[in-house]
Order: sequence, then structure tokens, then C-alpha cells
Amino acid sequence: MSDPHDDDTIDALLRQQFDGPVPDDGFSARVMQRLPPRRRHVTWPLWAGILVGAGACWSSLLFSPLLRAGWQDWLAGELSMPAFVLLLAMAGMSALAGWWCVAEAGDR
Amino acid sequence: MADSAAEARIDQALVARTLLGNDQRAFEQLLRRHQGMVRAQLRRLLRGDGAMADDLAQEVFLLAWRKLDQFRGEARFSTWLYRIAYACFLQACRKRSWPVGDAGDGEVGQLPAPSPAMDLQLDLERAMQRLSTAEQAVLLHCVQLGLSHDEAAYVLAMPLGTVKTHAARGKAKLKTWLAAWRTTSEEQIS
Repeated sequence: MSDPHDDDTIDALLRQQFDGPVPDDGFSARVMQRLPPRRRHVTWPLWAGILVGAGACWSSLLFSPLLRAGWQDWLAGELSMPAFVLLLAMAGMSALAGWWCVAEAGDR
Repeated sequence: MADSAAEARIDQALVARTLLGNDQRAFEQLLRRHQGMVRAQLRRLLRGDGAMADDLAQEVFLLAWRKLDQFRGEARFSTWLYRIAYACFLQACRKRSWPVGDAGDGEVGQLPAPSPAMDLQLDLERAMQRLSTAEQAVLLHCVQLGLSHDEAAYVLAMPLGTVKTHAARGKAKLKTWLAAWRTTSEEQIS
């Protein structure tokens, strides 16, 4: 072996010192025996939560004068306070949905 | 490079088969493909304790089985496994209060001049053990397991700059400590 005075030689020495992959010798079989059954990923609680949340939101806002007034003002083209609040809420929800989509796309 | 890309594609396909078809045989193939290197990694981290390394490796693969749906393919499957293994190693160190300290930080002397019978590999082993744990871990992953600096940073959960610093510092220390080998061989030549 050459002298350990440069990076390449040190690298070569370190690689030589490494024993490499360990032979299986029944290791995989032992792990496979201990493997627990796979849990199915349950998604219904998430969807049920979203539906219940959306329903509760809708029922509480349905008879609210703020929502009705805002909607009517918006249709009439008036930027009153209720219409502005409605617009702000929609913009906020759109921004949240957009951020979530970008985050999901980035993870994939 | 092409080989490693092909290997990565095979791993991805096996992961997909495991997840979609709940296919234990696909997972077994993944296990057989990677157990050797994960066990080797843990043996080096545990300084040759094969039994302990195998216990931890078993834990690593059981964890990988449970968390396989969290593997998103942003790193190679082997790199993902190394990361789990390193996290398990650190957790085991904390549980058993093993030192994860700085074995040789600061002292940059030389190992005793080698006698002709002394083996360079033996000295290298001793020199490696005098490095700090972080330097040892970086050199193990970057040089011996063949990961890139980026991959080592992912496995060790360290900033890229820190990985590069530890690699350079570790090699510099090894060069200094093993300089006696060079001096001796130069003396023999003159």
C-alpha cells in the first residue's frame, strides 16, 4: 500500500478497511418471520371530518345576515363591509388550498 | 451511474409492489438486497459488535416495513434505510447511555512510529477510533459506503457544509496521525 499522505490514498485505505456487505446467514428469514401484518391506511375518518366540518360551517353561515348581505352586495357590485369580509374569506381559503397543492406537489 | 439508476428503479418498483399489493415477497426482496450494507453500516458504527448490530438492523427493517408509505423516492431506498439505521443507532446510544462524544477532538499528534511488524490497517483502525464520532460517521458514509456529501447529509441529518467540514477535518487528522508511515518509508528509501 502506498503512503497515507493524500486524500486519494486515505480514501483507498478506508475502503480497503471496510469489510463490505455482511452475508445474509438467515437474517432476512428471521426478519420476515417477525414482520407484523400491514395496517391498511384508513382514510374515511379524514373525509368524514371534512364533510362534518363543511356541513357545520354551511349550516351556521346559512342563516347569518352577514353572509346574505355580503352575497347580495357582491352581486349588486357594491364593495360593502360584508362583501369585503366574504371576499377576504374566499381569498384566504383559495390561498390555503393553493399552498396545500404546492406542498403536496413538492413532496412527490 | 447507470447501474445505480437501474438499481434505484428496481427498488422503487419493489416498494410500489409492497405498498399496492401488500406483497411481503417484494419486501423480502428489498430486505435481501439491502440487509448486507445496512448491517455493515451498523457494525462499523457499533465498532464491530455484530450481535448488537444485527438486533438494530432487525429493528431498522421492521420500522421500514411499518413506515414504507413514508418513502417518497426523494432519496435512494438504500439511503433512506441508512438514515433509519443511523437514527436507530443514535436512539440506542441514548437508551444505553453510550458515549456519542468527541473521542479525538483537538489532539492532532502522531501515532507511535510503526514497527515493521505493525500493520498499516491496524493503525488506521486505531486512528479512526481517535476521530470524533461525527467525523467517523461522515467518513464511514462518504468513503466506505460510497454516499455523496448530499446523501450523507440526509442520512446523518447534518447540514451539507458540516458534512464537508467533518470529511476534510477527519482526513486531515488521519493524514497527520499516519504520517509516521510516510516518514518511515522515506527513511528506508534514503
